[in-house]
Amino acid sequence: MSCVPSRLRVAIVASDSQARSRLAVLVARSGHELVELAASPDAILTDDFINSSPPVPAVAIGAVEGDIAGRLPADPTARQIDAALRAVVAGLTVRGPNPQERGFGPLAEDGWPVLTPREIEVLAALRDGLSNKAAARRLAISPHTVKFHIESLFKKLGATSRAEAVVKGLKRQIVEI
Amino acid sequence: MTDNVRDPLEALSDALVERVRRAQPLVARIEVEGRSMRSGTLWRKDVVVAAEQAFARVEEAKVVLGDGSSFAAHLAGRDPGTNVIAFRLDGAPEPAPLAAGEPHPGALALAFGADAASVSVRLGVIHSVGPAWHSRAGGRIDRRIVLDMTMGGREEGGAVLDAGGNLLGISTLGPRRRVLVIPTTTVEGVLEPLLSTGRVERGWLGLALQPVLVPEAMQAEADKSRGLMIMGVAKDGPAAQAGVLAGDILVTIGGEGVSRPANVAQRLGPEAIGQPIELRLLRAGKILSLMATVAARPSG
Repeated sequence: MSCVPSRLRVAIVASDSQARSRLAVLVARSGHELVELAASPDAILTDDFINSSPPVPAVAIGAVEGDIAGRLPADPTARQIDAALRAVVAGLTVRGPNPQERGFGPLAEDGWPVLTPREIEVLAALRDGLSNKAAARRLAISPHTVKFHIESLFKKLGATSRAEAVVKGLKRQIVEI
Repeated sequence: MTDNVRDPLEALSDALVERVRRAQPLVARIEVEGRSMRSGTLWRKDVVVAAEQAFARVEEAKVVLGDGSSFAAHLAGRDPGTNVIAFRLDGAPEPAPLAAGEPHPGALALAFGADAASVSVRLGVIHSVGPAWHSRAGGRIDRRIVLDMTMGGREEGGAVLDAGGNLLGISTLGPRRRVLVIPTTTVEGVLEPLLSTGRVERGWLGLALQPVLVPEAMQAEADKSRGLMIMGVAKDGPAAQAGVLAGDILVTIGGEGVSRPANVAQRLGPEAIGQPIELRLLRAGKILSLMATVAARPSG
């Protein structure tokens, strides 16, 4: 079994010289070694469209087109860069919580299932990290009923985990107005 | 003899090149220190518009127009609601006026963007045209125009023209990176307030809402099966001052039923600011009527 080395060899694909120097600083801050694209790097850091499929896993900063394993927000921290580079080298896909990545979207996306008030309360309990028992206590219902609601939520939302149910049923549907 | 009959594909290609040549002066490359280049559109003399979402916290920029002339640009105003940002230039040329285009599904559209050297162009069909919609930040977009093309982040904000060379609007990236058009009329509608005050005022209640099924036992009382559950109330906001509580279910606003957040957004245009509005809510199985005074949406 081979592990991801602690210091990666990272090449840069930049849109211009200014972006190039900015990306170089980010590579240095994240603790990795900057190498030329031709020097068989472990990974690529880019802010630009990569024309063909990159030869090695790439991490893109900001809205970049193409089939890219790692995507980070436009202003990533060194820690995020480090984690994303390691993850894509290990063969994983990385997506940051970038509001811009969400794009210019509608107030509420249609097509989500509409929940009952009780289901929303149960989801809020899941969001707060409560166990079924604790959720039951908070809502003054039986743990059995909580379990029943969670099963119904999973089915309605097509979720397979509590975290997924919270994101699909709560976070994506709340609108501030 | 067929010598004098143009090959149709060649004719199409030549026509496209001609369109691009005419539109090129409108294409603005917007450079911000420490960031990747972005695209914008020279909308009128000294004014470049672009996609607001691409310019978080930007105030100063350099703009290079399609003819290579370059200008210092400063922020004139931004509106996250319609995703329009306006920059003011000094001494830029007056663009040739373009008529607003009428989008039709299936019609060809050319999307322009800035490129390191000159311009980039994409050709696609108008994938769909829908009615007005409300964005996440509450702005009203006059039409929902979707283009059948992909686009890189640096191109959004560029002009989108129809086959006749009329201006459909500016491009922007929507959810799942779909390419949307902010229509010409929408840009025009916010440009005056942006240039004069730097922002666009919109109504605000200070509510976090989620669509909800009204429990069966209360459906008769509410006279409907869907409403909006109050998930949060902004401290000291209009709804809080009116007495709205988290857990209430909003069923009507200004006498009209609400089952989607857009129904509320429709009532919160700039004209609503300062006006009273009736909120009917379900609380503990009873209908409750409260009066709120719409405030201006806080910036940021």
